[in-house]
Amino acid sequence: MPIYSFYIFDRHCECIYVKQWLERERERSSFRPQTANSTISSPATLSEKRVSTPIDAPTNARPPHGRLSVQDDAKLVFGVVFSLRNMVRKLSGPDDNFISYRTSSYKLHYYETPTNLKFVMLTDIRMDNLRVALHQIYINLYVEFVTKNPLSPVEHKGGEGVACELFELGLERFVQTIQDV
Amino acid sequence: MVILSILILNKAGGLIYQRDFNEGLNKLSSNDYLVLAGTFHGVHAITSRISPVPGSGGLEVLESDQFRVQCFQTLTGTKFLIFAEPHQPNIDVICRRVYELYADYVMKNPFYQIEMPIRCEQFDRQLVAYIKPKQ
Repeated sequence: MPIYSFYIFDRHCECIYVKQWLERERERSSFRPQTANSTISSPATLSEKRVSTPIDAPTNARPPHGRLSVQDDAKLVFGVVFSLRNMVRKLSGPDDNFISYRTSSYKLHYYETPTNLKFVMLTDIRMDNLRVALHQIYINLYVEFVTKNPLSPVEHKGGEGVACELFELGLERFVQTIQDV
Repeated sequence: MVILSILILNKAGGLIYQRDFNEGLNKLSSNDYLVLAGTFHGVHAITSRISPVPGSGGLEVLESDQFRVQCFQTLTGTKFLIFAEPHQPNIDVICRRVYELYADYVMKNPFYQIEMPIRCEQFDRQLVAYIKPKQ
Protein backbone atom coordinates (compact mmCIF):
# COMPACT_ATOMS: atom_id res chain seq x y z
CA MET A 1 0.00 0.00 0.00
CA PRO A 2 1.62 3.25 -1.08
CA ILE A 3 2.47 6.07 1.27
CA TYR A 4 2.20 9.40 -0.51
CA SER A 5 3.72 12.00 1.74
CA PHE A 6 4.78 12.95 5.24
CA TYR A 7 4.74 16.35 6.97
CA ILE A 8 5.91 17.71 10.32
CA PHE A 9 4.58 21.02 11.61
CA ASP A 10 6.00 22.75 14.65
CA ARG A 11 4.16 24.65 17.35
CA HIS A 12 4.50 27.89 15.41
CA CYS A 13 2.35 26.38 12.66
CA GLU A 14 5.36 26.19 10.39
CA CYS A 15 6.11 23.22 8.19
CA ILE A 16 9.54 21.97 9.25
CA TYR A 17 9.77 18.80 7.21
CA VAL A 18 8.17 17.46 4.04
CA LYS A 19 8.77 14.26 2.22
CA GLN A 20 6.80 13.22 -0.83
CA TRP A 21 7.26 9.73 -2.16
CA LEU A 22 4.63 9.83 -4.82
CA GLU A 23 6.60 12.09 -7.12
CA ARG A 24 9.41 9.59 -7.29
CA GLU A 25 7.02 6.87 -8.35
CA ARG A 26 5.62 9.00 -11.10
CA GLU A 27 9.03 10.05 -12.37
CA ARG A 28 8.02 13.65 -12.53
CA SER A 29 11.46 15.15 -12.77
CA SER A 30 10.47 18.80 -13.01
CA PHE A 31 8.73 18.63 -9.65
CA ARG A 32 11.40 16.74 -7.77
CA PRO A 33 13.49 18.61 -5.29
CA GLN A 34 16.99 18.85 -6.73
CA THR A 35 18.58 16.79 -4.01
CA ALA A 36 15.98 14.16 -3.36
CA ASN A 37 18.68 11.55 -3.57
CA SER A 38 20.95 13.41 -1.21
CA THR A 39 19.96 11.31 1.78
CA ILE A 40 22.56 8.74 0.93
CA SER A 41 24.95 10.18 -1.61
CA SER A 42 25.89 13.58 -0.23
CA PRO A 43 27.50 13.93 3.17
CA ALA A 44 25.02 15.46 5.55
CA THR A 45 26.01 18.54 7.40
CA LEU A 46 23.75 19.93 10.01
CA SER A 47 24.82 23.52 9.82
CA GLU A 48 24.14 23.91 6.14
CA LYS A 49 20.57 24.39 5.14
CA ARG A 50 19.54 21.06 3.74
CA VAL A 51 17.65 21.25 0.53
CA SER A 52 16.44 17.71 0.61
CA THR A 53 13.28 19.03 2.19
CA PRO A 54 11.43 20.53 -0.70
CA ILE A 55 10.52 23.52 1.47
CA ASP A 56 13.44 25.26 -0.10
CA ALA A 57 12.49 24.33 -3.64
CA PRO A 58 11.69 27.41 -5.73
CA THR A 59 8.06 28.36 -5.40
CA ASN A 60 7.73 29.57 -8.94
CA ALA A 61 8.42 26.12 -10.34
CA ARG A 62 4.81 25.23 -10.90
CA PRO A 63 4.25 21.53 -11.14
CA PRO A 64 2.30 20.18 -14.10
CA HIS A 65 -1.39 19.23 -14.14
CA GLY A 66 -2.40 22.29 -12.13
CA ARG A 67 -1.00 20.79 -8.97
CA LEU A 68 0.22 23.01 -6.20
CA SER A 69 3.84 23.46 -5.25
CA VAL A 70 5.08 21.44 -2.30
CA GLN A 71 5.04 24.53 -0.12
CA ASP A 72 1.47 25.41 -0.95
CA ASP A 73 0.45 21.81 -0.43
CA ALA A 74 1.97 21.88 3.03
CA LYS A 75 0.09 25.06 3.90
CA LEU A 76 -3.20 23.53 2.81
CA VAL A 77 -2.52 20.32 4.70
CA PHE A 78 -1.80 22.34 7.81
CA GLY A 79 -5.00 24.34 7.37
CA VAL A 80 -7.04 21.18 7.05
CA VAL A 81 -5.62 19.36 10.05
CA PHE A 82 -5.73 22.50 12.16
CA SER A 83 -9.39 23.13 11.37
CA LEU A 84 -10.41 19.53 11.83
CA ARG A 85 -8.54 19.26 15.11
CA ASN A 86 -10.26 22.35 16.44
CA MET A 87 -13.61 21.13 15.19
CA VAL A 88 -13.17 17.79 16.96
CA ARG A 89 -12.10 19.50 20.19
CA LYS A 90 -15.05 21.82 20.07
CA LEU A 91 -17.50 18.99 19.57
CA SER A 92 -16.33 16.55 22.18
CA GLY A 93 -14.06 18.30 24.61
CA PRO A 94 -10.33 19.06 24.83
CA ASP A 95 -9.30 15.46 25.53
CA ASP A 96 -10.56 14.15 22.23
CA ASN A 97 -8.11 13.75 19.38
CA PHE A 98 -8.51 13.91 15.66
CA ILE A 99 -7.08 10.65 14.26
CA SER A 100 -7.61 10.45 10.53
CA TYR A 101 -9.87 11.19 7.62
CA ARG A 102 -10.45 9.43 4.36
CA THR A 103 -11.61 10.60 0.94
CA SER A 104 -12.33 8.44 -2.08
CA SER A 105 -8.63 8.21 -3.00
CA TYR A 106 -6.38 8.88 -0.04
CA LYS A 107 -6.28 8.81 3.73
CA LEU A 108 -4.67 11.34 6.06
CA HIS A 109 -3.30 10.24 9.43
CA TYR A 110 -2.60 12.69 12.20
CA TYR A 111 -0.65 12.57 15.43
CA GLU A 112 0.05 15.46 17.75
CA THR A 113 2.59 15.42 20.56
CA PRO A 114 1.93 17.21 23.86
CA THR A 115 4.36 19.90 22.66
CA ASN A 116 2.08 20.64 19.69
CA LEU A 117 4.36 19.05 17.16
CA LYS A 118 2.10 17.70 14.42
CA PHE A 119 2.89 14.64 12.34
CA VAL A 120 0.81 14.08 9.22
CA MET A 121 0.97 11.22 6.76
CA LEU A 122 -0.98 10.75 3.54
CA THR A 123 -1.45 7.15 2.46
CA ASP A 124 -3.58 4.82 0.45
CA ILE A 125 -7.16 4.40 1.74
CA ARG A 126 -6.71 0.75 2.67
CA MET A 127 -4.01 1.59 5.20
CA ASP A 128 -4.92 0.88 8.82
CA ASN A 129 -4.64 3.51 11.48
CA LEU A 130 -1.09 4.87 11.49
CA ARG A 131 -1.26 6.81 14.72
CA VAL A 132 1.02 4.31 16.43
CA ALA A 133 3.44 4.47 13.51
CA LEU A 134 3.55 8.27 13.68
CA HIS A 135 4.16 8.01 17.41
CA GLN A 136 7.03 5.64 16.67
CA ILE A 137 8.48 8.11 14.19
CA TYR A 138 8.33 10.75 16.89
CA ILE A 139 10.00 8.78 19.67
CA ASN A 140 12.41 6.64 17.69
CA LEU A 141 13.45 9.04 14.95
CA TYR A 142 12.54 12.63 15.78
CA VAL A 143 13.53 12.60 19.42
CA GLU A 144 16.60 10.44 18.85
CA PHE A 145 18.08 12.16 15.83
CA VAL A 146 16.66 15.68 15.86
CA THR A 147 15.92 16.64 19.45
CA LYS A 148 18.94 14.87 20.92
CA ASN A 149 21.26 16.20 18.27
CA PRO A 150 23.55 18.70 20.00
CA LEU A 151 24.05 20.67 16.81
CA SER A 152 20.38 21.05 16.06
CA PRO A 153 18.68 24.32 17.04
CA VAL A 154 15.85 24.36 19.57
CA GLU A 155 13.41 25.93 17.16
CA HIS A 156 13.56 24.55 13.65
CA LYS A 157 12.90 27.70 11.74
CA GLY A 158 12.51 26.94 8.04
CA GLY A 159 13.09 23.27 8.72
CA GLU A 160 16.63 23.82 9.92
CA GLY A 161 18.20 20.80 11.54
CA VAL A 162 15.29 18.42 11.01
CA ALA A 163 16.36 16.81 7.77
CA CYS A 164 19.59 15.32 9.08
CA GLU A 165 20.96 12.24 7.46
CA LEU A 166 20.17 9.77 10.22
CA PHE A 167 16.59 11.00 10.51
CA GLU A 168 15.97 10.74 6.78
CA LEU A 169 17.58 7.33 6.53
CA GLY A 170 15.54 6.07 9.47
CA LEU A 171 12.35 7.53 8.06
CA GLU A 172 12.98 6.00 4.67
CA ARG A 173 13.56 2.60 6.21
CA PHE A 174 10.57 2.87 8.53
CA VAL A 175 8.21 3.90 5.76
CA GLN A 176 9.46 1.01 3.67
CA THR A 177 8.47 -1.44 6.41
CA ILE A 178 4.99 0.07 6.71
CA GLN A 179 4.53 -0.02 2.97
CA ASP A 180 5.52 -3.64 2.67
CA VAL A 181 2.99 -4.85 5.24
CA MET B 1 -27.21 1.84 16.46
CA VAL B 2 -25.94 4.96 18.12
CA ILE B 3 -26.18 8.06 15.98
CA LEU B 4 -25.10 11.13 17.89
CA SER B 5 -26.12 13.91 15.58
CA ILE B 6 -27.10 14.78 12.03
CA LEU B 7 -26.25 17.97 10.17
CA ILE B 8 -27.40 18.96 6.72
CA LEU B 9 -25.48 21.61 4.77
CA ASN B 10 -26.72 23.31 1.64
CA LYS B 11 -24.47 23.67 -1.36
CA ALA B 12 -23.13 27.02 -0.20
CA GLY B 13 -21.98 25.60 3.13
CA GLY B 14 -24.88 26.99 5.14
CA LEU B 15 -26.34 24.89 7.90
CA ILE B 16 -29.95 24.01 7.12
CA TYR B 17 -30.61 21.28 9.66
CA GLN B 18 -29.11 20.14 12.94
CA ARG B 19 -30.41 17.62 15.39
CA ASP B 20 -28.84 15.67 18.25
CA PHE B 21 -30.09 12.13 18.78
CA ASN B 22 -27.91 10.91 21.62
CA GLU B 23 -25.63 12.26 24.29
CA GLY B 24 -21.97 12.27 23.39
CA LEU B 25 -21.22 15.56 21.71
CA ASN B 26 -21.05 18.96 23.33
CA LYS B 27 -23.99 21.26 22.88
CA LEU B 28 -22.94 24.23 20.81
CA SER B 29 -24.72 27.51 20.31
CA SER B 30 -26.57 27.86 17.03
CA ASN B 31 -23.95 30.34 15.90
CA ASP B 32 -21.17 27.82 16.57
CA TYR B 33 -23.02 25.23 14.53
CA LEU B 34 -23.13 27.66 11.63
CA VAL B 35 -19.39 28.27 11.97
CA LEU B 36 -18.77 24.54 12.14
CA ALA B 37 -20.79 23.95 8.98
CA GLY B 38 -18.95 26.70 7.14
CA THR B 39 -15.57 25.41 8.26
CA PHE B 40 -16.43 21.89 7.25
CA HIS B 41 -17.57 23.08 3.84
CA GLY B 42 -14.21 24.80 3.29
CA VAL B 43 -12.18 21.88 4.57
CA HIS B 44 -14.16 19.53 2.37
CA ALA B 45 -13.19 21.57 -0.69
CA ILE B 46 -9.52 21.69 0.32
CA THR B 47 -9.29 17.96 1.02
CA SER B 48 -10.07 17.20 -2.60
CA ARG B 49 -7.46 19.77 -3.67
CA ILE B 50 -4.56 18.34 -1.65
CA SER B 51 -5.08 14.84 -2.94
CA PRO B 52 -1.82 13.19 -4.00
CA VAL B 53 -3.67 11.19 -6.62
CA PRO B 54 -5.72 13.02 -9.24
CA GLY B 55 -9.49 12.88 -9.22
CA SER B 56 -10.17 12.63 -5.53
CA GLY B 57 -13.43 13.68 -3.98
CA GLY B 58 -13.72 15.51 -0.69
CA LEU B 59 -13.60 14.18 2.84
CA GLU B 60 -15.80 11.12 3.37
CA VAL B 61 -15.04 9.71 6.80
CA LEU B 62 -13.43 11.50 9.73
CA GLU B 63 -12.33 9.62 12.83
CA SER B 64 -11.52 10.84 16.28
CA ASP B 65 -11.12 9.12 19.64
CA GLN B 66 -14.74 9.57 20.60
CA PHE B 67 -16.76 9.79 17.42
CA ARG B 68 -16.78 9.31 13.70
CA VAL B 69 -18.29 11.50 11.00
CA GLN B 70 -19.56 10.25 7.70
CA CYS B 71 -20.06 12.89 5.03
CA PHE B 72 -22.33 12.12 2.13
CA GLN B 73 -22.46 14.66 -0.65
CA THR B 74 -25.31 14.51 -3.11
CA LEU B 75 -24.88 15.31 -6.80
CA THR B 76 -26.38 18.73 -6.21
CA GLY B 77 -23.85 19.58 -3.50
CA THR B 78 -25.97 19.14 -0.41
CA LYS B 79 -23.96 17.49 2.37
CA PHE B 80 -25.26 15.13 5.02
CA LEU B 81 -23.00 14.80 8.05
CA ILE B 82 -23.72 11.90 10.34
CA PHE B 83 -21.95 11.79 13.69
CA ALA B 84 -21.83 8.31 15.19
CA GLU B 85 -19.85 6.28 17.67
CA PRO B 86 -16.35 5.26 16.53
CA HIS B 87 -17.13 1.69 15.53
CA GLN B 88 -20.59 2.12 14.11
CA PRO B 89 -20.90 0.01 10.94
CA ASN B 90 -22.92 0.81 7.81
CA ILE B 91 -23.17 4.55 8.25
CA ASP B 92 -23.26 4.98 4.48
CA VAL B 93 -26.54 3.05 4.42
CA ILE B 94 -27.93 5.38 7.07
CA CYS B 95 -26.74 8.37 5.00
CA ARG B 96 -28.65 7.18 1.97
CA ARG B 97 -31.79 6.54 4.00
CA VAL B 98 -31.60 10.03 5.51
CA TYR B 99 -31.17 11.41 1.99
CA GLU B 100 -34.28 9.51 0.94
CA LEU B 101 -36.24 10.97 3.83
CA TYR B 102 -34.94 14.42 2.89
CA ALA B 103 -36.06 13.92 -0.71
CA ASP B 104 -39.47 12.66 0.36
CA TYR B 105 -40.37 14.98 3.19
CA VAL B 106 -38.35 18.14 2.56
CA MET B 107 -38.02 18.47 -1.17
CA LYS B 108 -41.59 17.38 -1.81
CA ASN B 109 -42.95 19.80 0.76
CA PRO B 110 -44.54 22.61 -1.27
CA PHE B 111 -43.90 25.15 1.48
CA TYR B 112 -40.19 24.44 1.76
CA GLN B 113 -37.97 27.12 0.27
CA ILE B 114 -34.91 25.64 -1.32
CA GLU B 115 -31.52 26.23 0.41
CA MET B 116 -33.29 27.55 3.50
CA PRO B 117 -33.33 25.97 6.98
CA ILE B 118 -35.49 22.87 7.15
CA ARG B 119 -38.58 23.24 9.28
CA CYS B 120 -40.69 20.30 8.30
CA GLU B 121 -42.44 18.47 11.09
CA GLN B 122 -42.97 15.36 9.04
CA PHE B 123 -39.25 15.12 8.23
CA ASP B 124 -38.40 15.42 11.92
CA ARG B 125 -40.87 12.72 12.83
CA GLN B 126 -39.65 10.31 10.18
CA LEU B 127 -36.03 10.91 11.05
CA VAL B 128 -36.59 10.28 14.75
CA ALA B 129 -38.61 7.16 13.92
CA TYR B 130 -35.78 5.87 11.76
CA ILE B 131 -32.87 6.70 14.05
CA LYS B 132 -34.25 6.17 17.54
CA PRO B 133 -35.84 2.73 17.73
CA LYS B 134 -32.73 0.88 16.63
CA GLN B 135 -30.76 1.43 19.79
